[in-house]
Amino acid sequence: MVSQDALNLAVSLMTSHFGDLVAKVCGCLLQGGTLSLQEIVRCTELSNSQVKNGLLVLIQHNCVQAFSVPKQAGAGGATKSLTQYMALFDNILHRMRFTKFLAIVRDDLGPQCETLLEGLLQHGRLTFDQLVVRATSKQSEDSSSIRDVLRKNLERLVHGQYVERCPRPEPFIAPTSEEGTASARRRSAKSKEETYSLEQQAMIAAALSHAERFSVITDSGRESSDVKDADKQDVSVGDKRKFEVLELDEEVQAAITETEVLWRANFQKFVHCLEKKACVANVRSRLGLDAGVVLEALVESSDQEKDNFVKASMDGILEAVRGKPGGISMTLEHIRIVLDQLGCSSSIEDNNVFYKMEVQCIIESCQNDEVESLVLSRYGKEAYRIFRLLIKKGSLVETEQISDITFVEKKVAQGILYKLWNDDYLYMQKVISIGAGQLQHFLWKVEKHSLWELVLNHMYHAALNLNQKIAHIVEQEQEVLQAREKREQLRKSRMILELSLLKVDDALMLFHDFKR
Amino acid sequence: MSRPSMTPQKRAQPDSQSQPPALPENERILYELIKSRKNMGIWTADMKKETGLQNIVVTKALKSLQNKNLIKDVVNVHNKARKIFMAVEFEPSKEVSGGSWYSEGSLDTEFINILRKMCLKHIEELKVATIEDIWKSISASGVLKVACTMQQVLEIVRALALDKEIEELKSTGVGEFSTVQTGKVCYRSLRGREAPRVGHLSSIPCGVCPRISECTPDGVISPKTCVYYNKWLKLEF
Repeated sequence: MVSQDALNLAVSLMTSHFGDLVAKVCGCLLQGGTLSLQEIVRCTELSNSQVKNGLLVLIQHNCVQAFSVPKQAGAGGATKSLTQYMALFDNILHRMRFTKFLAIVRDDLGPQCETLLEGLLQHGRLTFDQLVVRATSKQSEDSSSIRDVLRKNLERLVHGQYVERCPRPEPFIAPTSEEGTASARRRSAKSKEETYSLEQQAMIAAALSHAERFSVITDSGRESSDVKDADKQDVSVGDKRKFEVLELDEEVQAAITETEVLWRANFQKFVHCLEKKACVANVRSRLGLDAGVVLEALVESSDQEKDNFVKASMDGILEAVRGKPGGISMTLEHIRIVLDQLGCSSSIEDNNVFYKMEVQCIIESCQNDEVESLVLSRYGKEAYRIFRLLIKKGSLVETEQISDITFVEKKVAQGILYKLWNDDYLYMQKVISIGAGQLQHFLWKVEKHSLWELVLNHMYHAALNLNQKIAHIVEQEQEVLQAREKREQLRKSRMILELSLLKVDDALMLFHDFKR
Repeated sequence: MSRPSMTPQKRAQPDSQSQPPALPENERILYELIKSRKNMGIWTADMKKETGLQNIVVTKALKSLQNKNLIKDVVNVHNKARKIFMAVEFEPSKEVSGGSWYSEGSLDTEFINILRKMCLKHIEELKVATIEDIWKSISASGVLKVACTMQQVLEIVRALALDKEIEELKSTGVGEFSTVQTGKVCYRSLRGREAPRVGHLSSIPCGVCPRISECTPDGVISPKTCVYYNKWLKLEF
């Protein structure tokens, strides 16, 4: 469940992108959780067709996932399937980040792929044929050559996992209670470990396998996907007729793929790229340019990217470093020192030195920076020092000790601590010691989990405000069309706001999307 | 039976140096009470409670004892209004005085700032330095009139690290760390490299807005009418 600030931001984004009706449907789903069409109609007080259209827009743009569950019509009646809709909050917020996603592809694969991705982002999901139509309507070139170029570019995008096949449109979720009773006990033991909500089950059921997601268009045997390769191996060499039939099938398959398979941007990959970028930027500012280069190389050459660490062999790192600007001049010794500075641990496997690093540490450091900076600007330098001490200690610290270490007068320290506590930045515990008389001691601590949540909500609110102010300025720009000077001033303000929104969104991702 | 002989006077006898000259009864009782509290001292109100003497008597006796240079008044860091008395031979404890960084019951900011500046300067000169290096360097410079201990320097340096003026590192033993033993904690200046970074949220008005909790899209306080925004964007219509 998302917080009210987050919900407001999502609805505001929907309003500015798709208008009030769609935003209303989306808001209803975000607020009420998973709902059926009839429930949405009741909740929004819109007409049946309005809601239907709204849902179609949302599904087209990957903001809503549909799934069906069995429902008994009346007591003892026949079981029918009922379609449910759920809003995908993360995907809605990703709409703020399209310019960032496009920049990533431009840097990696060039402007042609960027244009192709732009089409997908603009329309949510498209088939290859639709992409071709979109491209040919803009250019007057020979459409078949355009088609070839587009196919190649789409394959590059899919290969880089920037683009994927859309998930299943409406998976059917069978209720677990109706399964056989024989294995019930075993299942109940298992379900303790992994109980998924209906929404999670739907997401899992809708998801394609890795091979399916990134299998490219088969073009009459010229380039075939991993899946098709696997099929081919099953055919024995002597069985020629069968093989021909299969080839024909592939052609048909390719045609079907081009007209029917829907493609969309793979947000997961982009989040991952942005995470890497944020880590490299942080390390670069802390430890210098070379450290940034080495970290980038480590992440890129990491062969097993597990949940919370990257690991790569020295050879792999070296090769990746050489490919980077400024990497040629780095010696092996220098790279080793930098890896050490980064806090990597090394191990030897199969005569190869491997370096391992917890990416989460860098993310945490970025998060700390963000919150500390907030404390500095809201509460001042002394509060900043106190807050940093408490973050560093990570446990309860007594007022006097805090005052001593931070060189803040006891009374002042007390005041600062109280203010921080009052604004939910700190957790406080009162301890009474009984000695000569009763003495009250106050212990303080940063509860990261709840504070991070608070800061995240603050960010949602700030992003919402920026978004609203931008919309307001756009309105004003329309009003003052005649007055050039005012218009120019408004344009400048809008640019500042848009840039700030991108920055606040960077911070948002740091606290919401980069959590592993 | 030795008990009857253990009168207060006799118990104090071994410590003949601090044996007070013959004092009137009231002063003697108060003096012994004050002295028994050693370096913690005692608050006048507590004296009255414990001795049962009258206000005026206590005040008079304390004045007399002060004149005889037997007791002194000390500022209590926790409560400056509470007058605390202590026998002259004791130095106030850390709990009373606030520790080495306090003088007259308040933080000696002047001394702290001088020491901070010196530590920063010496760390910058030394590039990478251990706490011993910094302390030696400061002592050798002879700028400080009062000697400072290594502990004091360490406390200052740690606070500088909290301010992100410097950073605390472990020496790798190579490169710029070649002068420091591997694995040893050392300090390096952060000037020009990482001053407290301005966060993304704190760089916009909403990040530091005191009224953010009352701000709603269509409320009295809203981004559309926000004065902080207009100030920030220099929009005045």
